[in-house]
Amino acid sequence: MTQDIGKKRGILTDRRRLLFGLGAAGGAMAAGLGAARADDRTAGQVTDAPVSDRTQQRQPFYGRHQAGIVTPRPEHGMIASFDVLATSPAEVKRLFKTLTDRIAFLMQGGTPPALDPGLPPADSGILGPVIPPDNLTITVSLGSSFFEQRDWLADHKPLRLVRMTRFPNDALEAARCHGDLSLQISSNSQDTNIHALRDILKNLPDLMVLRWKQEGSVPALPAKPDGTRESARNFLGFRDGSANPDGGNAPLMDRIVWIQEGGREPGWAAGGTYQAVRIIRNFVERWDRTPLGEQERIIGRMKATGAPFDGRTEDDVPDYAADPAGMVTPLDAHIRLANPRVAETQANLMLRRPFNYSNGVTKSGQLEQGLLFIAYQADLEKGFIAVQTRLSGEPLEEYIKPIGGGYFFTLPGPVDKADFLGRTLLEAAGQAVSGLKP
Amino acid sequence: MHFRRYFSLSAFALAAAAGSGLALAAVSPLDLVKPVADYKIYVSEKLETLLTDTKAFTSAVKAGDVAKAKALFAPTRMSYEAIEPIAELFSDLDASIDSRADDHEKAEKDPGFTGFHRIEFQLFSENSTEGMAPFADKLLADVTELNKRITDLTLPPEKVVGGAAALMEEVAATKISGEEDRYSHTDLWDFKANFDGSKKIFDLVRPLIESGDGAFVTKVAGNFTTVDTTLAKYKSGSGYELYDKLSEDDRKVLAAAVNTLAEDLSTLRGKLGLN
Repeated sequence: MTQDIGKKRGILTDRRRLLFGLGAAGGAMAAGLGAARADDRTAGQVTDAPVSDRTQQRQPFYGRHQAGIVTPRPEHGMIASFDVLATSPAEVKRLFKTLTDRIAFLMQGGTPPALDPGLPPADSGILGPVIPPDNLTITVSLGSSFFEQRDWLADHKPLRLVRMTRFPNDALEAARCHGDLSLQISSNSQDTNIHALRDILKNLPDLMVLRWKQEGSVPALPAKPDGTRESARNFLGFRDGSANPDGGNAPLMDRIVWIQEGGREPGWAAGGTYQAVRIIRNFVERWDRTPLGEQERIIGRMKATGAPFDGRTEDDVPDYAADPAGMVTPLDAHIRLANPRVAETQANLMLRRPFNYSNGVTKSGQLEQGLLFIAYQADLEKGFIAVQTRLSGEPLEEYIKPIGGGYFFTLPGPVDKADFLGRTLLEAAGQAVSGLKP
Repeated sequence: MHFRRYFSLSAFALAAAAGSGLALAAVSPLDLVKPVADYKIYVSEKLETLLTDTKAFTSAVKAGDVAKAKALFAPTRMSYEAIEPIAELFSDLDASIDSRADDHEKAEKDPGFTGFHRIEFQLFSENSTEGMAPFADKLLADVTELNKRITDLTLPPEKVVGGAAALMEEVAATKISGEEDRYSHTDLWDFKANFDGSKKIFDLVRPLIESGDGAFVTKVAGNFTTVDTTLAKYKSGSGYELYDKLSEDDRKVLAAAVNTLAEDLSTLRGKLGLN
């Protein structure tokens, strides 16, 4: 074996010697080879990296709210859930500050420190020596157990934060549920997300242990000539997000998504939000064997356009008032149950930010894929829990099975470089807090 | 025979292994002579124990004494687990002594599945020693051969020092889940041996880095203490409780400690100027 490698090396070395050791004629030949190679490079080689002009897209890290919530969803997303080992205020502070520090660096991009080559490198290197921001956001949220397992934080738990409970159609797998802390990582590429996760794991091995993670993606669409956007499709082939509230409408987001000061929630939580995560398996083989008309009646929209049955485009609002008996849109259609569009259910609105996931093959030989559902709301009970309760028993349940997820509270954002994630919580708990740099 | 790079334990070989002068700490290659020699003694003692224990274990198996064989299974493995990075230098023997069912295509039924875990399967899942005599003979022969090969081997210092982290990587990647001793659930015995083996290496080189990198030494020692304290809760008789007794909270504590030890100990070779 070793000998073979030696032989091969010998050949390579000989060839190199041949190329570089020749005279003028050889030089010309080498130049010819070089030119041929340059042509080939332009044409694109099999293993060339795909080209992106978006690697320098950057989202702001500092602000009253964390990034990655009203931020338009990029192609790749991930939820990683952790058990947190930090128990004392000092350890929790170190956890929050280190997370802040890493996220600030990763979202900005830059060059990691060069270490002695005798040591493991500071960075995994999977994005190259200079890390591009690539539209990365990392959003930090805390589970109810984070508060309940720490006496000094128990009194400061957000009002609505509870451990996710089972809905009738759920088949929750313990290994894919809950967690003390969640990271929502999203960016233009899966590799950028993985790079960020590996960076955080490497920097906080003593305070966080990975519990589960789920990655997903959304398909990119070509730009439309008139500049309008369309909702992406989920793995059922339907547009998902048509009725999502406008994330760019700040007053609307203040009402639907962000915790406001002076409400019933603890003051430290202002600027934060509740995150509901659900891993919802889709039985896609069975779905694909369901008549198109039935698929559309189950969802309540036209599959091709996304339009409601009484509309033309996905932006048209269905007029349920004119259809009280469900002759146009069945009363148990998914979109009608989820959002009945009456005054009293306006309080149940939430901001959805889902990704499609595909995990492999089940024991039965079926595709294990579906929706990594992520939603943000100012009131978890009135938001996701109320909507999901209303959806219980919907015909769509025959084709979907929630198998994991959890409820988390997304911390307010770090307002500036002197601030850090979780500062307001630590202050509320009576912990003396200094800035990021001690 | 994968590993036949014999280093003589001369200052010259150590200097060669120490690489091209990128040492971070002012550790001279000569400083490593004593820790490596001391580690060789540790390995020899463990191998001697392993051989004695394996004889007793395989005799019990061949005598059809299921209860005795079961009782001897976990303690016998400890000497092997403590020096695993060295034992693994001989990958043919490691495979036949310590491979798991899932390393083999036909799992438990695979004829290539031999060694400790094959016998463990028969003892704990089938509650018998039936058909185990050839496996017992093979295990004893393999352990005897391992002992012979390691006795002849001059330990490469980078393998010795790197072994501290390698043991933690093993636990982190394939043991913390309780999949190693899946039939007997005696994983905590293996953990203890893996941690002790790693700590032994750390303790031997500790004097070389203590003065230059006190914070590092304190942190690593602290994590070894965390592991010891956590495992001590599960002491039972001369050994440990079954893996299923390990609480979810303590499993997390061990997982975090082992990940942190793996991170920190991964810098040990560099700190000692070894490639």
